[in-house]
Amino acid sequence: MTEQPINIRVAAAGRTRSAEEWELGLVDLAVLAGGEVLDAGGQPPDAIITANALGDALGDQRNLALHAADRLGLHGVETLCVSCDEASGGSAIRQAIALLLSGFHQRVLVIGAEKTSDALPDQLEAVRATGLDAAQEASFGFSPTVAAALGMGRYLEHHGLARELFYHPARIAHAHGAKNRLGIFAWPLTVEQYLKSPVVATPLTVCDNAPLCDGAAAVMLTREPGPGVHITGSASVCARRGISAPVVDLSLPAARESARAALARAGLTAADMACFELHDSSSFLAVLSMEAVGLAPEGRALLDAQQGAFDEGGQSVLWVGGGHKSRGHAPGAGGVFQLVEAALALQGRLDVRLSKKEHALVQCLGSFGALAVTHVLTVR
Amino acid sequence: MQIAKSWRRQPANLRLEGTRCGDCGRLSFPAALRCSACGSTRAQEFRFCGRGEVLAVTVVYEAPRDFAEHVPYPAAIVRLEEGIDLPAMLTDIDPADAHPGLQVTMCTRRIAAQGDAGPIVYAYKFAPAGEC
Repeated sequence: MTEQPINIRVAAAGRTRSAEEWELGLVDLAVLAGGEVLDAGGQPPDAIITANALGDALGDQRNLALHAADRLGLHGVETLCVSCDEASGGSAIRQAIALLLSGFHQRVLVIGAEKTSDALPDQLEAVRATGLDAAQEASFGFSPTVAAALGMGRYLEHHGLARELFYHPARIAHAHGAKNRLGIFAWPLTVEQYLKSPVVATPLTVCDNAPLCDGAAAVMLTREPGPGVHITGSASVCARRGISAPVVDLSLPAARESARAALARAGLTAADMACFELHDSSSFLAVLSMEAVGLAPEGRALLDAQQGAFDEGGQSVLWVGGGHKSRGHAPGAGGVFQLVEAALALQGRLDVRLSKKEHALVQCLGSFGALAVTHVLTVR
Repeated sequence: MQIAKSWRRQPANLRLEGTRCGDCGRLSFPAALRCSACGSTRAQEFRFCGRGEVLAVTVVYEAPRDFAEHVPYPAAIVRLEEGIDLPAMLTDIDPADAHPGLQVTMCTRRIAAQGDAGPIVYAYKFAPAGEC
């Protein structure tokens, strides 16, 4: 079957800062980001899709898209809520693409929003854990952080690498994020700070995990022609559930296949990408993602990162806005933040040096890598 | 924590009971209503032997809610003799002594409790072979 080409334009984008927003609730965040997109002008959307991972479990506002639509003054539109753990943002974008390609709608507003600061850290971690196997993992004291620690230790032992090499994913994220005025940790990270950071679960420390925060990002997507950034590739793939597979096998088959399919849909390869927004909720998943999408051979991601292969000015720049690690991790919104930042970078509107290549790859993961959603962006 | 949910999980949590597919023989833990390999619904009860090897281990210092009482606790991926990889806490061991390659055996231990007067959930943990 011939695949229909994708050529969905990012007509406008908006985002809040990533922070602990004591005076803003979940719906407020969604309204701020969505409102920024509406204020950019153009026709209003026919549909609103929200992306959120934790709100239902935290007892926050359900049916978020409906409430955001009302507060934005958008009555009569279709509303849809997407919740796919930390792949919610990418999945919401993909649903918007489907609505547009089907001809159901002409313009779809996607808003990713997450509110984490109303909950205490241990409650947040317990809620995040229910994106894993709730019965056999979350109920046994396992969480995404514990899983990342298991994987990190196994990766280092299997490849015979020094623990200090894990500084480099965080270093890159912070170096690029230091220029993101909307990021929660907008400063460079020194190796001394990294080596002194407290242990959470051996060998993982605070600096190996992205900080959870509040935030919202939004995009208006349309089939209407025009210049700017377009989504030219898209793929969502699932693999075996459970933390054991990525920890034991040290690979992310869903991420690999999702990237391959999205690139194939766009008629491109990884070498065509100026930048990559990969899922760095933990440095372990970041490293496996880098190897999965073809940035580095198996076992080489940390060594290549150490050599500066992914720093700005190079051929494959990672985390142009700081990634989840420096910009901040609003779990359900992360996929939309990634797309917004990649789009801004391709248009030269972010303070980061890229090559002259005109494409970007954006990938978010859910349920510790069992679900991967990838999009390819092209600037025209 | 819900009593009915805890009761429903007892075969898996207390006896390591899963299923073997009646058609293709695939083992599943916990029990599978439908075989993910061949789609069969002919499942036979299968009790895993409880012996295994640690593949990966971490010592947790900041735990999710409900597990603070165990901190610091060793959390591991255990490969059972039948080939299933199972995330589980280790017990009866100094966390500093937990390492990949350790041979372990299943035992029943307290996993979590709901406050001082609420229900207590017991389930499998793994201890060094010969200790349990």
